[in-house]
Amino acid sequence: MIKQKLIVQNTLGLHARPAGHIVNVASSAQSSVDLVYSEQRVNAKSILNLMMLAIEPGAEVEFIIDGPDERKIAEELTELFNNKFYEDGT
Amino acid sequence: MKMAPKQEIKERQMFVGQAASPGYAIAPTKLIVRQKVSVSRYKIPEEKTASQIEFFRRGLLLARKEISSLRDLTIRMAGEDESKIFDSHLMILQDPSLIESVTSLIQKDLWNASYAFHLHMQALIDSFERREGILKERAQDLKEIYNRMLLHLNNSESSFVLQEEIKECAVITGFSIGPNMLMHFDKEKVLGIALDSGGVTSHVSILARSMQIPAVTGLGNLSESVKSNDLLILDGTNGLVIVNPDENDISNYKKQIEVFQNQKLELFTMRELEPITMDGKYIRLNANIERFEEASEIMSFGATGVGLYRSEFLYFGRDSLPMRKEQAEVYSKVTHQLDPLPVTIRTLDVGGDKMLASLNAEAESNPFMGWRSIRLCLDRMDIFKEQLKALIEAGNRGNLKIMFPMISNIGEIERSKQIYHECCEELRAERISIPKIALGAMIEIPAAVMIVEEIAKRVDFLSIGTNDLIQFTLAVDRSNGKIASMYEPHHPAILRSIKLIVEAAHKEGIPVSVCGEMAADPLSTLLLVGLGVDELSMSSWCIMECKKIIRSVNYDEARAISAEALKLADSKSINNFLKEKYYQKIKNLGISSFITTED
Repeated sequence: MIKQKLIVQNTLGLHARPAGHIVNVASSAQSSVDLVYSEQRVNAKSILNLMMLAIEPGAEVEFIIDGPDERKIAEELTELFNNKFYEDGT
Repeated sequence: MKMAPKQEIKERQMFVGQAASPGYAIAPTKLIVRQKVSVSRYKIPEEKTASQIEFFRRGLLLARKEISSLRDLTIRMAGEDESKIFDSHLMILQDPSLIESVTSLIQKDLWNASYAFHLHMQALIDSFERREGILKERAQDLKEIYNRMLLHLNNSESSFVLQEEIKECAVITGFSIGPNMLMHFDKEKVLGIALDSGGVTSHVSILARSMQIPAVTGLGNLSESVKSNDLLILDGTNGLVIVNPDENDISNYKKQIEVFQNQKLELFTMRELEPITMDGKYIRLNANIERFEEASEIMSFGATGVGLYRSEFLYFGRDSLPMRKEQAEVYSKVTHQLDPLPVTIRTLDVGGDKMLASLNAEAESNPFMGWRSIRLCLDRMDIFKEQLKALIEAGNRGNLKIMFPMISNIGEIERSKQIYHECCEELRAERISIPKIALGAMIEIPAAVMIVEEIAKRVDFLSIGTNDLIQFTLAVDRSNGKIASMYEPHHPAILRSIKLIVEAAHKEGIPVSVCGEMAADPLSTLLLVGLGVDELSMSSWCIMECKKIIRSVNYDEARAISAEALKLADSKSINNFLKEKYYQKIKNLGISSFITTED
């Protein structure tokens, strides 16, 4: 099991499109991928769950990834967050 | 001093939907309002939970199919960025937490599928609406998904009414509209139809095309954005609606309307003409139909017969199976009305994404490759025989052909024919006369292509179902957005398969037909004709365009072009080659308002 803390760095926060990127990565995983934010833990393969959390810009979230490809998924998620979900153009 | 009255400037807005019926209209709009959303609500017995869950999953699948075709269209009309919204819609319809919650409401609380979905979605929408900012806006997306799904989950026609009477010519706008309501409209006054919901194949679209009223469907939230009497431009050829158009739009579209009218007159001269190439090769152009009422319409489009009558529509939307007498009456109506034109009826093709509630079938993990179509019929002899006997009876009143779908081995053909002959014997005992009926096989599974010579020896005709053949050959589910672009009708594997099928059929001296969306695409039409296909079957409103195209080419030339195309190694080069050979010719036909050829 891997626990990976990441910071939401894009200007609009975790709205539908970035949430979609996360779901794409999480759904490709054999591992279970959960996201923890303000004491709530949800399945990161569900876009509705992610959107409901209304995660704000600058917030810190934690992923809990458990399974055979946990390392690969953690890396992909880190890259996604570091690139601000490919949407700020900077 | 008096202030000048403040003039309200209305915002110009553009909406992209699906081109459901060709033509253009410029007119004020009249709104259709929904009386109330009625969600049927009842508890189900435990043994019905599996079929209700299956029903829910099929609803999701159908909604996803609609949305992915909307997305493709948006990419074409408005660009990649505009289409992103549909990606989230697709993702929501695949959301594991949504599916889990609704499934559990059916399984544990024993709610029927549409109420279970309603319950969960309304709670979600409420919680989104209570929030601020972006989340609140997203509630609108959820509502769209909710509405779209309910259409699939509610079999009944919802009750819609016109907000006010139509006194002058108008474009009708609304979330949805029932076919019955549409038929009651004054055809002179309804210049166009713009709907939030629905797809190209919905009954409303079919009806609009046959009534020759331009229509655009799948417009999302158009009806919530317009007010009654707002001026609209409706472009049913490209699937566009412009609300409060500017001067420029209006003058452009006035020109378009003039062009359209001229082209329409020209196209309708095709009705009486034969579908024959310049050098004299006759290509049958048949219509695909679903309901017997359509039989009367196909003649007005100049069809040479029915190439595919989807008999399953007689079985849908009811709790019991249709009996022989009822079926025979319906089939006879079609054969009798069109006699002596041939009518090819496909035996019950259910399962996959369209299972019958009356069969109470278990949910399957891979329904497309599951218990469906001829496989189901051969297991349920009661259903199969009832239908075959009805068909034989109807064959006495016209020129009927029967085709068996989803054939994958010789055993299925032989068994089906044997049962057919048993039915003949049983009917003879009832002193019913037995007409001569041609029996055919549908080739839509790659295995059938590989053994097509053996199949051809055992039947009177072959019919290629390209929709399934392409999906199975390329292993591509067209409704899956991530790979939809891999659905390539001009893939060399498809061309070569069709060539094999045509050769095997002609060796046995039997005809080959193509029924599938591919038949009506201008470039594919010519490709198929060139591959030696004898008959094409398509939606009836495509027939006149297709006839015009066929009448403009030489058969020998088409043969040579398809032979060249067969040598190419990938669909991209095949597409480019076909465009190079045919594109200018199609453009020169002057029927641009009726066919959308991509550049």
